[in-house]
Amino acid sequence: MQILQVQNLCKTYGTGEVRVNALRNVSFSLEKGEFAAVIGESGSGKSTLLNCIGSLDFPTSGSVLIDGNNLFTMKEEERTIFRRRNIGFIFQSFQLVPELNVEQNIMFPLLLDYRKPDSAAVEEILELLGLKDRRHHLPNQLSGGQQQRVAIGRALITRPKLILADEPTGNLDSRASQDVLDLLIKASRQYQQTILMITHNNSLAACADRVLRVSDGRLSDMGSSGKKGAWYRDEKLS
Amino acid sequence: MKNYLDLVLFYTKTHRKQNRMSILCIILSVFLVTSIFGMADMYVRSQLIKTKRDDGNWHISIKNISDEEASLIASRPEVKSMFCYGVLNYMLDKGYTLGEKDAVICGSEEGYLTQIWSDTIPEGAFPQKPDEILVSANAKKELGLKVGSQVSIRDASGIEYPYTISGFVPNPSMIARKDIYGIFMNTDTFRDFYPDVENGEPADYNSCFMVQFHNHRNMRRTINDIKEQFHLSDSQVGEQSMLLGMLGQSDAGNQFFMFIYSAAAFLSALVLLAGILMIASSLNSNIAGRTQFFGMLRCIGATPKQIIRLVHKEALCLCRLAIPVSIAAGTAVIWILCALLRFLSPKYFGTMPVFAVSFPSIAAGIVIGILTVLLAARAPAKRASKTSPQAAVSGNVDHISPVQETYIYTAPCKKSSRPAQPAAKQSVCPFLLRRILTHKVDIILGICHALESPKTFLLTVSSFALSIILFLSFSTTIDFMKHAITALKPWSPDLSVVAPDNTCSLKHSLLDAFQDSTAVKQVYGRMFAYDLPVTVNGRSSTVMLISYDAAQFKWAGKYLIEGSIKDVEQETGTGLIVSAPQYNNPTEIRTGDTLSLITNESFANIRIAGMVSECPFNTEKGDIILCSEDTFRQLTGEEDYTVIDIQLSRKATDSDVEAIRALAGSEITFSDMRMDKESVLGANYCFKLFVYGFLFLIAMVTICNIVNCIAMSVEARIKYYGCLRAIGLSYRQLTRMIVAQTLTYALTGGVIGTMLGLLSNKLLFEWLVTFRWNESWSVPATELCVILSITTLSVALSVWAPVTLSKQRYHTLHHDI
Repeated sequence: MQILQVQNLCKTYGTGEVRVNALRNVSFSLEKGEFAAVIGESGSGKSTLLNCIGSLDFPTSGSVLIDGNNLFTMKEEERTIFRRRNIGFIFQSFQLVPELNVEQNIMFPLLLDYRKPDSAAVEEILELLGLKDRRHHLPNQLSGGQQQRVAIGRALITRPKLILADEPTGNLDSRASQDVLDLLIKASRQYQQTILMITHNNSLAACADRVLRVSDGRLSDMGSSGKKGAWYRDEKLS
Repeated sequence: MKNYLDLVLFYTKTHRKQNRMSILCIILSVFLVTSIFGMADMYVRSQLIKTKRDDGNWHISIKNISDEEASLIASRPEVKSMFCYGVLNYMLDKGYTLGEKDAVICGSEEGYLTQIWSDTIPEGAFPQKPDEILVSANAKKELGLKVGSQVSIRDASGIEYPYTISGFVPNPSMIARKDIYGIFMNTDTFRDFYPDVENGEPADYNSCFMVQFHNHRNMRRTINDIKEQFHLSDSQVGEQSMLLGMLGQSDAGNQFFMFIYSAAAFLSALVLLAGILMIASSLNSNIAGRTQFFGMLRCIGATPKQIIRLVHKEALCLCRLAIPVSIAAGTAVIWILCALLRFLSPKYFGTMPVFAVSFPSIAAGIVIGILTVLLAARAPAKRASKTSPQAAVSGNVDHISPVQETYIYTAPCKKSSRPAQPAAKQSVCPFLLRRILTHKVDIILGICHALESPKTFLLTVSSFALSIILFLSFSTTIDFMKHAITALKPWSPDLSVVAPDNTCSLKHSLLDAFQDSTAVKQVYGRMFAYDLPVTVNGRSSTVMLISYDAAQFKWAGKYLIEGSIKDVEQETGTGLIVSAPQYNNPTEIRTGDTLSLITNESFANIRIAGMVSECPFNTEKGDIILCSEDTFRQLTGEEDYTVIDIQLSRKATDSDVEAIRALAGSEITFSDMRMDKESVLGANYCFKLFVYGFLFLIAMVTICNIVNCIAMSVEARIKYYGCLRAIGLSYRQLTRMIVAQTLTYALTGGVIGTMLGLLSNKLLFEWLVTFRWNESWSVPATELCVILSITTLSVALSVWAPVTLSKQRYHTLHHDI
């Protein structure tokens, strides 16, 4: 079952001499439960792609369908509500609400959707994150890895169709990075959660089910990953 | 946590320090509004007390109606009470006396004294029997009377009418001023006593009916109904216009009150606007610093409406503390003012409650506070709701200024996802930046910071300008006060001793005797010569010649229009002419003219050596000439005074006054003007406290507003300063940058504020002063200097505070990046 369909996505900034084609006819799709990594150099268009998929930015042309719904034909209010119910975000800089504790941060998207948080679901997520004993801690009382785990919990609580992670390990050391990645993989397996992750780190990308490379605005599918995959060997060699 | 809006509670709890400035702004606004309304409330209350006490608590008086018609009117449900009141010998021309003094005889029903003039029988009771009367307290003292004493009223022909004293009434100010006695009879006794009328109509007894309505909103309609129903003309119905005006029931044609209300509404709107601007700029700065936070909320699914609700709730949360605090502070200020007024003028404000709670001011504070905060939060809330969710994923969101945008535009960075701005949208900053190479970079950057966001620039400049407009607008109330309240002149006496028949017969030795009393602060005498025939420039008329001593010449110096007072004081045969067009008393005589006077059937010349615009006297015909005592003696041959005025020291008691009265003897007229003077003083204190208190508060708002604006602007840029520090910005350069930014706001705001402020000042002056007193407007130079000085001081303070802060944080600025 296809969760995400990206078709001929183009994004251009500026006109004339300063025209920049950030994305050029990008097309791909993700199946339910698939965990894909997007790699590419700085300025290659990775973040632009993620912003367009998450409807944070408007493409110049092309379409993005999540579970068959075209994001850009919706009105702003409708799109926001669709986003909070179907897309979860994980940021490089965690972006937790500093005034709320771990538990409150996790349940906050549900409150925004005027839903009563199910305590069992919150417990389950806390268990998954390994933060049960830290539920009443504020973000500034947690390490970077723990904060990112809270951000993952916040993305998971609404059981979204798609989770978009923008360099989730960018601010973490290698051990914390591996922990976060393990958690994402676990979530993907346990909840059949579709995840699209941007990363610079090829070793981390190697843990994903599938790797997509963006270069100069063009996307190429590197196929299934794994440390034995062809693209990984190429990367290692290069 | 049950609702997403609960986030606000957590936020305000953990960001108390950050919200301090916003809370202070709200406190100041609400405090201002509460104090204004409280002071206005107190002013109205004191005026109501004054009017009811001085003129009686009645709304209309009706004359030339029959007793039957009066009964019909009294039976109307809107009429609370209606009493017949008549007076005999009011002008002291009918020759009625009690003891040796003139007496004014009044006839009324008991309710007139107890309801229209509340509490006016402190001793005894209202006359019930035909032979009973009430007399004024001065008669009790001077004639040694008590309840049950026998007295006789003597008429002009010497016939005596015996009566028994049933009680006493306090001295109305007119009784003390004219040194006469007041007598009260019941209506039946009065009508029996009234000469040459038997079974006449009330009008035949010089009587009218005083009507007091129940307080209701349609008094105007009731008055018109009564007029229509009983076919009463306007001249038959007199209105207590002051009382009706204060109850909002004044005649629709009373334009003056309308102008006052318009001016009050205009000034209130300005205060509201100042509050909105002040709080808006505080909230705006708070919101601007949290772009990433709002971006994150948008990312995780908050709709723009939810963000607006969050910001509104945040703003309202600030009110939870700010409104009670400011209302408490405002009420405390009202109490202090009340206590001050009671202390300054106990006779006038003695009836004011010690701890008066002004419910209108509390209601106004709450309503205006919430309204101001909600209106002020509108723009920041909208701004927050428009935050792009991209702000959360972009690393560089805190402060994307046109300067940075220009950089992106000319050299697009691949990492940046921001679109290039069309050239037309660029601000003036790139133009200024091009000059960076040839000018001081720190100053240019400071100016750029001021201009970079048109909205912030407009908001800050508006709040600078509004402070000036507010001050200049309110300062017109000073002019209004000077005109509306009869100010005490330096020569206003407490006691006045007047010679019988206004002749020059008060000896110099009497003046010296008064001078020796410890209760006397100053004493001064005047000689009067009335209706002296005079020829000037071939024209014949009459003049009133008055002598002045040294002290009086000194006071007259303030009102000198032309010529010299010294010449008049030192040279005999010279005088000062009084020209007072404000009292419809202009003169055709000019300085330098020589007048030929006919005195004691001989001719004498007097040269006019100067002109003054004020003097304590007026005359219905002819001119007034002031001269030295020597000149007066030379011209008239008179040696003694007509009037001796006495100003008492603060410690003077009633027994001192009695001693002075005894010293003056019984032949003279002894006029006690202490009550009138006290009344004028009281009104002056009240108004001055109101006006100057208000101006002081506006000055405070100006200072806080300007300091707050700049402090917030600097705080919002602290990370940016960190970047500049990292690339080599010195502390001196940082200071210059902040000064340049502040001056850009201050100069623009100052120019706009001065222009609009003068316009508003002129408009209000015309409404409040020109319309009534016909005085033309001139530039309020003093007020302008004061507010511009306050603005300059505020600018200095506003620069000093953040510069000091930056100095403390300078070495760690880069940590804020």
